[in-house]
Amino acid sequence: MGRTVGIDLGTTYSLVAYVDKETKQPKCIPGPYGSALCPSVVSLDADGSIIVGEPARRRLLTQPERTIYSVKRLMGRGPADVAGELKIFPFRIDPGSESVIRVRLGDRVFTPPEISAFILRELKSWAEQYFGETVDKAVITVPAYFNDAQRQATKDAGRLAGLEVLRLVNEPTAAALAYGLHEAQRGLVAVYDFGGGTFDISVLKLISTDQGDIYQVLSTSGDTHLGGDDIDNELQRVAREEMRAQFGVDLSADPSAVQELRKALIAAKHELSQAKEITIRFPLSDGRIYTRIMKRQEFERLIAPVVERTMGPVKQALADAHMAPNRMEEVVLVGGSTRVPLVRQVVEEYFGRKPHAELNPDEVVALGAAVQANILETGVAGMLLLDVTPLSLGIETMGGVVAKIIPRNSTIPASAQEMFTTGVDKQTGIDIHVLQGERELAKDCRSLARFQLKVPPGPAGLARVEVKFLIDASGILQVAARDLRSGLQNAIEVQPSYGLGDTEIEKMLEESIEYAEQDFAERQRIEAVTEAETILRATEKTLAHPEVEIDTTERRAIEAAKAALQEAIAGRDYKLIRARVDELNSVTTPLAERIMNHALATALEGKNLDNE
Amino acid sequence: MTASSTMSKASAACWSCGAATSGAHFCAKCGKIQPLPKGTDYFAFFGLPQKLRVDSADLEKRFHSLSWKLHPDNFVRTSENERELSLARSSELNDAFRALSTPLGRVEYLLAHNRMRKEGQKKQQAPPELLEEVFELNESLDELREARQAGGDAASTAKVRMKLQAAEKNFTERLEEVDAQLDSISAEWDAVIDADNNEATRKALMDRMNEILNRRSYIRNLVNKVAAELAA
Repeated sequence: MGRTVGIDLGTTYSLVAYVDKETKQPKCIPGPYGSALCPSVVSLDADGSIIVGEPARRRLLTQPERTIYSVKRLMGRGPADVAGELKIFPFRIDPGSESVIRVRLGDRVFTPPEISAFILRELKSWAEQYFGETVDKAVITVPAYFNDAQRQATKDAGRLAGLEVLRLVNEPTAAALAYGLHEAQRGLVAVYDFGGGTFDISVLKLISTDQGDIYQVLSTSGDTHLGGDDIDNELQRVAREEMRAQFGVDLSADPSAVQELRKALIAAKHELSQAKEITIRFPLSDGRIYTRIMKRQEFERLIAPVVERTMGPVKQALADAHMAPNRMEEVVLVGGSTRVPLVRQVVEEYFGRKPHAELNPDEVVALGAAVQANILETGVAGMLLLDVTPLSLGIETMGGVVAKIIPRNSTIPASAQEMFTTGVDKQTGIDIHVLQGERELAKDCRSLARFQLKVPPGPAGLARVEVKFLIDASGILQVAARDLRSGLQNAIEVQPSYGLGDTEIEKMLEESIEYAEQDFAERQRIEAVTEAETILRATEKTLAHPEVEIDTTERRAIEAAKAALQEAIAGRDYKLIRARVDELNSVTTPLAERIMNHALATALEGKNLDNE
Repeated sequence: MTASSTMSKASAACWSCGAATSGAHFCAKCGKIQPLPKGTDYFAFFGLPQKLRVDSADLEKRFHSLSWKLHPDNFVRTSENERELSLARSSELNDAFRALSTPLGRVEYLLAHNRMRKEGQKKQQAPPELLEEVFELNESLDELREARQAGGDAASTAKVRMKLQAAEKNFTERLEEVDAQLDSISAEWDAVIDADNNEATRKALMDRMNEILNRRSYIRNLVNKVAAELAA
């Protein structure tokens, strides 16, 4: 059995964290470049291999048509949903996309869950390297305002990466967990989570009980398409307009230049969190330079509409919790975009108190995910999370009207039972359309799934089928139907409106598991070989030591162990290589000790001489 | 305790050890989580009698204490069967808490559970004593819409808006009256439960509650309609 980790699968960065068994504190795991932040960027190399993270981000500039970022924006969405995004993001959507978007990278197409799975697999390997153990289970965070399809897509990504997703946890709730652990807060807390691509607000009540602390979410709201990306796009719009006016240059035709500009503007945005005024300098391909001074004031004026858009959900969440802003005892800031001074100022003014930002806003969600992973791995450890569903669940009734069956902000798991019957004689099926959203009409809500209940033909109204809708602790819908006349479970095949079907996932899974196992074994092999080569070199050196005596038996034993190890290296089985390394180690230990003693004695002699 | 809980009526054998169970959350013998009996009574779920006046702090405490025991977090490493039972039990717990955490919710649940909630045609029909006021209100609403369609500005609609605001206030007060009625009939109900728990008396009370609820939803809709129109 492998270990369980917490993963923040972010729009811009993804992180993996765990709880240290000794200190009981959550910790982020650094990757090969020393940073715990893995850029959520995936690139397809010319030889067909997949590159993830920092090296992929560099390829955004050199191979933009083979590289994708911010794929989280596409999770669980259909082609029609993302039409607006395509104007701003360089996603290359395959024209063959139907309910599930397919993105083109070079000569191949991938679904968003597959791309997210590459990121998850990268993080999994970071953790495996770090622990020297397999990692096969995870808690993954999602924006609180993610709908069922977006959650399901995230869970699919986990499965494709070879991870059993024990739970999806809402990002603001995860942050509250990390903060709670950090300084044992009590009372009412608002978490304002403004990330790279999503915005969430959650109102929580932290309660002490005899069994431990309960983190009860009272309400949540948000916008799954509002984040730092929108700030960048605003800057980009201004810069490109000015370039056009000033130099007559249109960057649209040059994706590499667009990415260069994006990078420069993100750097400018970061600088403006510290400096009052900065200079943007961007060389055009013809050698001319676009130079632009930007004052923080102007920056704030530009982005004010983006920041203002967060306030709608904030007011909604407070209204749903029946709370005035000043009732909040703590306000917590999460997400990279909360580094923008204007954001802090707006939040502080609205709630009338200084928000908390002690924990690194990039890491806090991953840390909370690790806490929840630890709870699930070790059993409830004095902490319990009671989260809510962000959107009302409903079914379509006569005239396209939606009947709400589970209201938004219901504590999850939550369920509802509905009875269905036939309307005409000899009807053999009852069609059911499940939706999510707050609007009255089905056409304005998010379609989750359609399915048909099969019933034996008979007079109208005779059939009685009870359907149970259940939202699990990850916020994902399950449907079960029972024929009340026969008492039999009614088989239903739910066709998700925006998502991968089960067979499709199975197929991808088969492929990906093969890859994952190969990847893991390959990495282990490379490491074991490196280790083996090191010890072989050391052994050569010791055997050749001029002054230490080695008898024939010992020399033979060492030579045999050496040969066995060399044979194992050729055999490519990393476990065998490791075992042979250990064997060689043990037969050379006495010799190594003798050499050490000899060296020590020589050193001492030398010292004595010096002293004389 | 006189209020019978449907839970205690259901008797079955524990799926794990075979001991007799009485609808409790866990088997008394082996401690395994048990399936939900059909038609579970939300009050009994919390170990409470079917009474309508509930100490909300006490209810919340029971909710939290059951959450610790039933939440799926506790069952991640158990068998699939137990995981499903936990999901069913904990969702029922949350549904029950949601239903019972407000006075109105408790009355609605009580009637629904006893199949005494009858909305019927009465939903659209104005209660007789409100007929005149509702007629007037609808007139004002039409007036405002017409004025708006004619391109009327804030000044030209000010008078009718004032009239509507007065009506909104009036009906909001009516809503409060209805809530007070609900509170007093709830007290009456609890007294019956404590006394002889007579079925005919209970039924009569539930009929009256049903009428109050219909009146309430009618007035509630009016208030919402006016508020929406004023905000438009």
